[in-house]
Amino acid sequence: MEAIASIAPEVIETTPSVSHTVPKLISGSEALMMGLVAEGVDTIFGYPGGAIMPVYDALYDYQDRINHILVRHEQGAGHAAQGYARMQSRAGVCLVTSGPGATNLVTAIADALIDSTPMVCIVGQVAKRLLGTDAFQEADVMGVTMPITKWNYQITNADEVPEILSKAFYIAQSGRPGPVLIDMTKSAQLELMTKPFVYERCQSIISYRPRRIPKQEQVEAAARLINNAKRPYVLVGHGVQIAKAEDELRLFVEKTGIPVATTLLGQSTISTDHPLYVGWLGMHGNYGPNVMTDQADVIIAIGMRFDDRVTGDASKYIKQAKVVHIEIDPSEIDKIIRADAPVVGDAKEALKALTALVQPNDHTIWRNEFRKYDTIEYEQITLPELTSTEGKIRMAEVIDMLSKKTNGEAVLVTDVGQHQMMASRYYQFRRPNSLVTSGGMGTMGFALPAAFGAQVGAPDRQIVAIIGDGCFQMTLQELGTIVQNKQPVKAIILNNNFLGMVRQWQQLFHERRYSFVELQNPDFITIARGFGMDGQTCEKRESLSDALDTMLNHDGPFLLEVIVEKEENVFPMVPAGASVAQIRLK
Amino acid sequence: MTTYTICIFTENTIGLLNRITIIFTRRRINIESLTVSETERKGVSRFTIVIKHESREEVEKLVRQIRKIVEVMAVFGYLNEEIVYNEIALFKVSTPLGSKPLDVETINQQYKAWVVYWGLDYVVIEKTGNDTEIFEFFGYIKQYDILEFVRSGRVAVGKTEKGLVEYLPESEWAYYL
Ligand SMILES: Cc1ncc(C[n+]2csc(CCOP(=O)(O)OP(=O)(O)O)c2C)c(N)n1
Repeated sequence: MEAIASIAPEVIETTPSVSHTVPKLISGSEALMMGLVAEGVDTIFGYPGGAIMPVYDALYDYQDRINHILVRHEQGAGHAAQGYARMQSRAGVCLVTSGPGATNLVTAIADALIDSTPMVCIVGQVAKRLLGTDAFQEADVMGVTMPITKWNYQITNADEVPEILSKAFYIAQSGRPGPVLIDMTKSAQLELMTKPFVYERCQSIISYRPRRIPKQEQVEAAARLINNAKRPYVLVGHGVQIAKAEDELRLFVEKTGIPVATTLLGQSTISTDHPLYVGWLGMHGNYGPNVMTDQADVIIAIGMRFDDRVTGDASKYIKQAKVVHIEIDPSEIDKIIRADAPVVGDAKEALKALTALVQPNDHTIWRNEFRKYDTIEYEQITLPELTSTEGKIRMAEVIDMLSKKTNGEAVLVTDVGQHQMMASRYYQFRRPNSLVTSGGMGTMGFALPAAFGAQVGAPDRQIVAIIGDGCFQMTLQELGTIVQNKQPVKAIILNNNFLGMVRQWQQLFHERRYSFVELQNPDFITIARGFGMDGQTCEKRESLSDALDTMLNHDGPFLLEVIVEKEENVFPMVPAGASVAQIRLK
Repeated sequence: MTTYTICIFTENTIGLLNRITIIFTRRRINIESLTVSETERKGVSRFTIVIKHESREEVEKLVRQIRKIVEVMAVFGYLNEEIVYNEIALFKVSTPLGSKPLDVETINQQYKAWVVYWGLDYVVIEKTGNDTEIFEFFGYIKQYDILEFVRSGRVAVGKTEKGLVEYLPESEWAYYL
């Protein structure tokens, strides 16, 4: 363990400088603050309450070092921390009270786990003597969050704070990142530590040793497969961006000439105009990348986990191909798809090692096969969606125009549903780390708070949230947080007056029985105004461009509501349970 | 269905049992028996969990998921022939005055079981062995009135040279010693 010498001055104050002076002993809450400062935490998303009040009291003295952001609902704190973490590539921090505060946070924790987002959640708990008594606002948060955290721990005594906090950050941010939770009893927050506060940043844990550097034999085996491949194909997941391996990926594919597709969360890893980029995979992904999966002889899967939205029916998936699977989490190897050449390690390290061993190859003919399908998709879907002149505005037009106006350089934060898929289809990502979306959980209500968190985490980037009318109503109270914190988040509601994605499924698979999917919506702009946010509704195709300009040029946050076609469907589509080759164009 | 014995070495922390069993529950794998104790190393616990499964592949996946738990140091999966294993069973048998006397010699010689406690009108017999041996003895002793019967979970050690046949490619067991 490496001690941090240059942490908060308090550390020096509390460590006796003269041997016989009695050190000032501090409370668990203060220790927590000092630990957070030592970890370099500058922002916390939180919501106070009885069982976390001593920590909030300590926070009062730390306002100059730690920016606490008061959200409107703990789920919002969680999603905001996720957005922040994605932009900063380090743990987002949440602070909430016991019982209902903690349970409100649960959705975001589960979301962060499945999308491998680092997060440290600090949760108040009733006093130690009340544990297990069904005390006021007591919930078994340890039990509830055990299956949805990478690690959790209950602190019941103040002396544990420094060690546990440093472990929490280490676990959240290393290996495959994920959420960790510290449940801290009120008594531990209040009581004094019995020893001087010393903070050492955790560097390793005996039972937890993620492998960063892959084994050379594994890399060599993978390189052999790749060098002998006739029709190799790279599938990129979120892991590449987590490892910040965008450049290494580009060098690898440019050297080998292998076509690249991404998963939903892998989008923006490589610029959409890169000649080797062929599109994205999955249920609503592009036509070519899905169909061609069945024709590859070697699949190189990097930092992705063969989610069922990517594989369709896994029993029919890539039976013909040899698989190279590069993954930092060994439990993902062979979980869904058997790997012929597993490479366990960090994507950046693995790609570096692999690039050194692979040979340049000419895969032009193979690559061009993808283009046939691109043309089909373009003619049958893209073009009609982008050039329709009748009916209401279509989602595709909004995203396409936004993409052009922002040069593909904005960060899109999307919610869940048709608009999410349309945003992914039509935004031309030019910069890495530009799509923040709830992939694994598909959590409605994610976008608004996550966009806020992303803006806090990346003040210099243009953040645009794309939200459905249904999703917006799950967390719209966070408009208040955005306004109070003066963050220039731009949010676009694509309003089709339906829970559109569910309606699409009902139309296609339930004989148009539209069971409870139509919404009576409020006046969103009035609501925004009520929160002190400017906004505008756009209903006519002719005014879309101006409306987007108004939004983008607006100084401060802005809500743009676009009334879109009510019954539009997202295609291509791999119906649930079908194989990827059965992808439908209509 | 094949019986697998999974040995998990962990740090000794509160709540870990829960974290481990959740992994079985979530995959709908029934736990046949479970034994936990501290090992020869301080602070290191050993879980011995017996399951039945038809797919070795699924068991390997399960093992990897268990290995993922931060406090878990190593996980090993064994087939029966790869381990020496035993359970212990206690039989409380009624012996009121005038009833058929116990044939202690048969119990000792043939079944390798021992009377470990004499109550006023009952005895407690201890039998160690694998489940077949225990149930064979059960078959014999049930001619007397069995008042209580309890069987422990399995304990096991590996037979192989390294002491361990392990499914996990990533674990570096020697490191922890
Ligand atoms: C919390 C939550 N509840 C339910 C769902 C199921 N669901 C997925 S998409 C969707 C509809 C989303 O509707 P809307 O926000 O209007 O977006 P649209 O599909 O119309 O673009 C629903 C209900 C979900 N993903 N998350």
